[in-house]
Amino acid sequence: MNEADIDADATDRMLLQRMSAGDRAALAVLYRSYHGRLCRFLSRLTRRPDVIEEVINDCFWIAWQKAGTFHGDSRVSTWIIGIAYRCGLKALRQHGDEPVEEDMQSEDRFPAHCPDEDRELRDWLAKGLSRLSADQRVVVELVYGLGHTLDDVAVIMQCPVGTVKARLFHARVKLRNTLPALAGEPPIRKESMS
Amino acid sequence: MKLPTDIGKDCARAWEAMPWSLQNSASQEQDEWLTRHLSQCEACRAEFEQQSRLRLAISLPPDITVDADAGLRRLLARIDAPDTHATAHRPRTSWVTRALVAAVLMQAIGIGVLGARLWSESQANYRTLSQATTPLPAGAIHVVPDETMKLADWNGLLHTLHLQVVSGPNDVGAYTVVASGSSASSRDTLQKLRATQGIRLAEPVASAP
Repeated sequence: MNEADIDADATDRMLLQRMSAGDRAALAVLYRSYHGRLCRFLSRLTRRPDVIEEVINDCFWIAWQKAGTFHGDSRVSTWIIGIAYRCGLKALRQHGDEPVEEDMQSEDRFPAHCPDEDRELRDWLAKGLSRLSADQRVVVELVYGLGHTLDDVAVIMQCPVGTVKARLFHARVKLRNTLPALAGEPPIRKESMS
Repeated sequence: MKLPTDIGKDCARAWEAMPWSLQNSASQEQDEWLTRHLSQCEACRAEFEQQSRLRLAISLPPDITVDADAGLRRLLARIDAPDTHATAHRPRTSWVTRALVAAVLMQAIGIGVLGARLWSESQANYRTLSQATTPLPAGAIHVVPDETMKLADWNGLLHTLHLQVVSGPNDVGAYTVVASGSSASSRDTLQKLRATQGIRLAEPVASAP
């Protein structure tokens, strides 16, 4: 954890402490601070904006109620993402598993101001992630997107570190064998790496 | 599936180190080693480029628009009305709880009734020597009518002598009779009984010692 992470965690802890005393302004700051991260994280589980908002609000509803019980065993971000993950799984059970759909990969879903390069990159990523299971997508997002360590991911997903390692390994192997081909390049063959 | 462990120890180590180096969470020594390895290994370099691209793509802002302000307003409204939220879930829980309570109560009542019935049926139909016997009224007489005596004759005799049966017949066919308000003494009654045809035995009930 670098200095910026330490500072961010200290701020988050202070906000949680204020929330435990009923400070709604602190809740609003923390909500806005995590909204973008949670949106992107949850978009790996579902493509429905209404479900994503529902999960984010469920997550912060729990955080608001349990702010006083946070003992600092992990980073605040690990705690919040863990709650969001469990709320996300619950929402998937209620609404059905909706992986990245082909029609959602069309150009229509990208904002009008999205540069072509970003659009190409998003398309490349979406096609790659669509080959992964939900758990593998979550691990990839947590490690590459949110920058969590294996230990953090194990806490978030409430599973052994070995399981996280295996999910990450298989996700990377799948992406390695899929993404270059989708990007118009020949896949990296084992022979070429030896 | 092509496993990175198949391609050499250093490449496997590089494969392991890539995500953490991209996260800037790897140690300086690990970073330097990886940089050296990548300069020598074209395959790992290609893999690292792809990993960098993956991280860049994943780090792009979400492509799904969710209004943070609207979401926060809804969350605050939900916090302001916690009772409404709680009661929204109450009916289902309450209904289940009520049904369970009703079932338990019915079972308890059933067990109670059954227990009481069994208890009453299991009352001992015998008397111990220590139990006090119901005292018979003074002047009670044990009478054993003959088997051939007709019921009408027996009833007529009781009526004539103003007697009434208070117990019997017992195992040997004896009845216990007492005078029903007659002024006749029990000795007279006893003699009349003994003199009556069809009466095999008439004896006064001995008083308890």
